[in-house]
Amino acid sequence: MTNEEIIEKINNILAEEFEVDKNIIKPDAPLMRTLELDSLDLVDVVVLVEQNFGFNITGEDFAKIRTFQDFYNLVIERTQK
Amino acid sequence: MADWKGKTRGGSFGYFFFIKLIQYIGVRAAYFFLAFVVVYFIPFAPKATGSTWRYARKTLKLSRLKSVGLLFRNYYRLGQTLIDKIAIGSGMTNKYHFKFENYQEFLDVLNSQQGVIMLGGHIGNWEIGAPFFGDYGKNINIVMYDAEYQKIKEMLEKNSTGHDYKVIPVNNDTLTHVFQITEALNRHEYVCFQGDRYVNADKLLTATFMGREADFPSGPFLLASRLKVPVVFYFAMREKPMTYHYRFTIAQPVARTRDRKPEQAMLEQYVANFEKILREYPEQWFNYYEFWKK
Repeated sequence: MTNEEIIEKINNILAEEFEVDKNIIKPDAPLMRTLELDSLDLVDVVVLVEQNFGFNITGEDFAKIRTFQDFYNLVIERTQK
Repeated sequence: MADWKGKTRGGSFGYFFFIKLIQYIGVRAAYFFLAFVVVYFIPFAPKATGSTWRYARKTLKLSRLKSVGLLFRNYYRLGQTLIDKIAIGSGMTNKYHFKFENYQEFLDVLNSQQGVIMLGGHIGNWEIGAPFFGDYGKNINIVMYDAEYQKIKEMLEKNSTGHDYKVIPVNNDTLTHVFQITEALNRHEYVCFQGDRYVNADKLLTATFMGREADFPSGPFLLASRLKVPVVFYFAMREKPMTYHYRFTIAQPVARTRDRKPEQAMLEQYVANFEKILREYPEQWFNYYEFWKK
């Protein structure tokens, strides 16, 4: 899967799961605020990543994520390992 | 409307007094003093007394006379479970008897090389189980609200009565606990929740419990329904004489349907199990606030 395909897949999953318009997902937008996530929604993020990309996000990983681009970078890095 | 604030009643002096009493005179002496404490609590803990009274009258539909009896038995049982917790934590396990229901099925789940979510409630003395799970006990993580945890921790440290399990404190201001939970499950550990209390009123599920509508926290049921691990409902109920009856029920897997979210389906299984046990031990209801909606 190319990086563009991974980003497209992430955007589709997040838009569907959190019921937001895909157009508001922009690389430099803040992830938590844009998707209006609270701590419980994070469980869904953890489960979605595990189901779709096959790895577990840790608290340490998540602490580094501010924007969608940070999230894309994490998924791309882990899926390419 | 439920209004639990994340702290459990009980002054430091009271705990200290009973810990010393158990250590120097014994468990039965502590039970004897407990009878006097119960008489004190009924008038001097009006909110708790009021909520238990309404539980007896509106939920259990008891007569006034039977409600008075339930009130005494309820406070006495609460005190007994606290005394037992201290006594067992101090190594006096040989004074107690233990019975288990579905224990083999439960052990099969624990041995299945995956994380397990355990859901209990504020009835009986579910926290008392950890020391009896032997080596399994080291893998138990209990999720509790930070304010409650700090108080319990302070008391246990002050009186050198430790505990065998790990605690994941929940603080609504941070996200740490979510990852602590998922990471514990990824390490194939067991994560225990009490599914009947909440402090965040924005995230609730509603179910009919004991014939009346009540709110429950969505977090434990959301986790239990989304994370692909086995779920066990677990309660430890106090019986005579000096006996704890452990009740384990393995939850059925739940799926999203058009009408019902998976967390609601998990809550309904939990509520059915919880209600069955509470009807057998109605005096062991330890939620001292207005639990049900009007």
